[in-house]
Amino acid sequence: MGMIDTIAVETSERQIAGKTVAVSTVLRGRPPSYLRVAFSTVIGLLRGMKMTLGYFLSPEEIVTQQYPENRDTLRFPERYRGNLRFKFPNAEEHESHAALVTQVSQEAEVDAQHAAAWMHEDNGARWYHNCTGCGKCEAACPNASIKVITRHGEILDDRELDRFVWRLDSCMFCNACVQACPWDAIEMTAGFENAVYDRRLLVYNLNKMAGPRINLIQDEENPDVRKRMVERRDRYGGPVPLNGFGLPNLLPVPAPLPVDEAVDAMPGQEGSA
Amino acid sequence: MTHPMLAIPAALPAGSPWGAQTLAERASASQNLWVTAGYFLLAIVGVTVLLTLLGMVLIYVERKVAAHFQCRIGPKRVGPFGIFQTIADTLKLLFKEDFVPPQADQVLHILAPFLALLVPVVLLALIPYSPMTQIADLNIGILFVTAIGGFGVMGILIAGWSSNNKWSMIGAMRAGAQIISYEISATLALLVIVLFSGTMSLSGIVHSQSEGWWVWRGHAAGFTAFIIYLIASTAELNRTPFDIPEGESELTAGFHTEYSGLRFAFFFLAEFINMFTVSALTATLFLGGWMPFHVGDWAVLNGAMDAIPPGVWFLGKTSAVIFLIMWIRWTFPRLRVDQLMHLEWKVLLPIGIANLLIAAVLVLTNFYPFPH
Repeated sequence: MGMIDTIAVETSERQIAGKTVAVSTVLRGRPPSYLRVAFSTVIGLLRGMKMTLGYFLSPEEIVTQQYPENRDTLRFPERYRGNLRFKFPNAEEHESHAALVTQVSQEAEVDAQHAAAWMHEDNGARWYHNCTGCGKCEAACPNASIKVITRHGEILDDRELDRFVWRLDSCMFCNACVQACPWDAIEMTAGFENAVYDRRLLVYNLNKMAGPRINLIQDEENPDVRKRMVERRDRYGGPVPLNGFGLPNLLPVPAPLPVDEAVDAMPGQEGSA
Repeated sequence: MTHPMLAIPAALPAGSPWGAQTLAERASASQNLWVTAGYFLLAIVGVTVLLTLLGMVLIYVERKVAAHFQCRIGPKRVGPFGIFQTIADTLKLLFKEDFVPPQADQVLHILAPFLALLVPVVLLALIPYSPMTQIADLNIGILFVTAIGGFGVMGILIAGWSSNNKWSMIGAMRAGAQIISYEISATLALLVIVLFSGTMSLSGIVHSQSEGWWVWRGHAAGFTAFIIYLIASTAELNRTPFDIPEGESELTAGFHTEYSGLRFAFFFLAEFINMFTVSALTATLFLGGWMPFHVGDWAVLNGAMDAIPPGVWFLGKTSAVIFLIMWIRWTFPRLRVDQLMHLEWKVLLPIGIANLLIAAVLVLTNFYPFPH
């Protein structure tokens, strides 16, 4: 039994480089007696058995989930890292699949089936974003899975997001981009059902709109100017492998919401108007 | 104070086959050759059915219990609550390639799994399941159990040696060292019970516990013997925390590394049947076997306990010991080889010898509750 008994901890002070430093000395080395080791061993074993029996007798501790039967009631750990998406301001951070479908269908005012198809297409990506296109996520990504493409915004005369291209096929869900983002613009979600028949489908744009951050749009009071600030971006446009290709049997992409309606439906307008 | 079921044979005329309590006695009591042969056949069929049932049930229970100890659910998909999982696994093993390594000793490699399974099958015939259900009751029962149990290491040693593989060889050698070492402690614990009961016959030992089970009636000596036997027999079973002969992390699978398909299943089955026989023996020797919970001459309590059939008592006690062994397996980490030897030679053996002396003094002074 290689146990070493800690007899006492002595604290003293010592002068090092003109400063007084507290020094702790741990006195060890005297092995405990045979009986004491035997006693503590038995106690330790019994404690372990008590713990496993507690697990055995409490079915609520079971962590196994019966996927896909419980697809609508999946429980996710608090810090589950799934698909990347743009974070909607004030949105709940962790939702179940069903709650997400309901929320998207209410936001876009479409039926649940349409919303589910939408979610499959874009993981419930939001219409507006908090992204400034600073590219810190791109720099933080160890796998070079993110490509942030910016453009010069005419109205604000500043850099703004054009396309946020994410490579799901090389992402390892390390969460470094989310932690690097100074604007809290992106998040990892509970989405994980990513199987597709063509790997080109795994590289796509995360943003639905090219344009400045949502706060800057809301600060603009003229609705016509607001509408000219943003521009529709679709999932497989721009520098992604699928751009320009048509795939048979591809899930029908829902018709994009017209820019005018989207701007009108923007939350928080009454505050700025 | 005898069990009411034991009073029945005494009322029958002498020479009646129902006066006997074991299949062997009934077979020898009958004058007809065909009836004797029928009893013989019944014994073989009974053991075979028991073997199959035990294998299926115990493997399923082990998986379910292990799952719940680890916050999982366990087998669930095959049949209701996954009860057909064992059958599915057996079918899978049946269809796997039966591979014998070219450099292996062909005859011994094929023979070893059957030797390993032989021991628990023989022991199944000796266990008194209830007053009227026992295949053979030997007057040297304990001696026979120890001798046959010691034979179990042969199958493992032959399997490891004939595989012509380093891992198998090391695993088999470890198993040999472990089983031979721990047999000493197990036998010392059994001797305590032999001292207490004054007989070596297994059903005689059960009868001797009609005033109370030896685990509590033998004071601390009985309880210490129970604990020592539990530890030593777990080591003889090669189960965690004493599974260094198999030691997946260092020896691949130990002595059965080179076994596949149905031969591997035989080793697997032997392990589980061994677990049952060890649990049944523990229940028989220390927990009173099929004997209901009796306390001396408390007629009311004893009468109430007699209402439960002896077979149920035996099954309940055996299941409790099996659960205890599973509980130990899924809680404790594996011992190192030197720790294993330390535990046997420096801890269990001195305690066992001292315990035997104390038990001898107890028996000589007739100093235990409800003495004869």
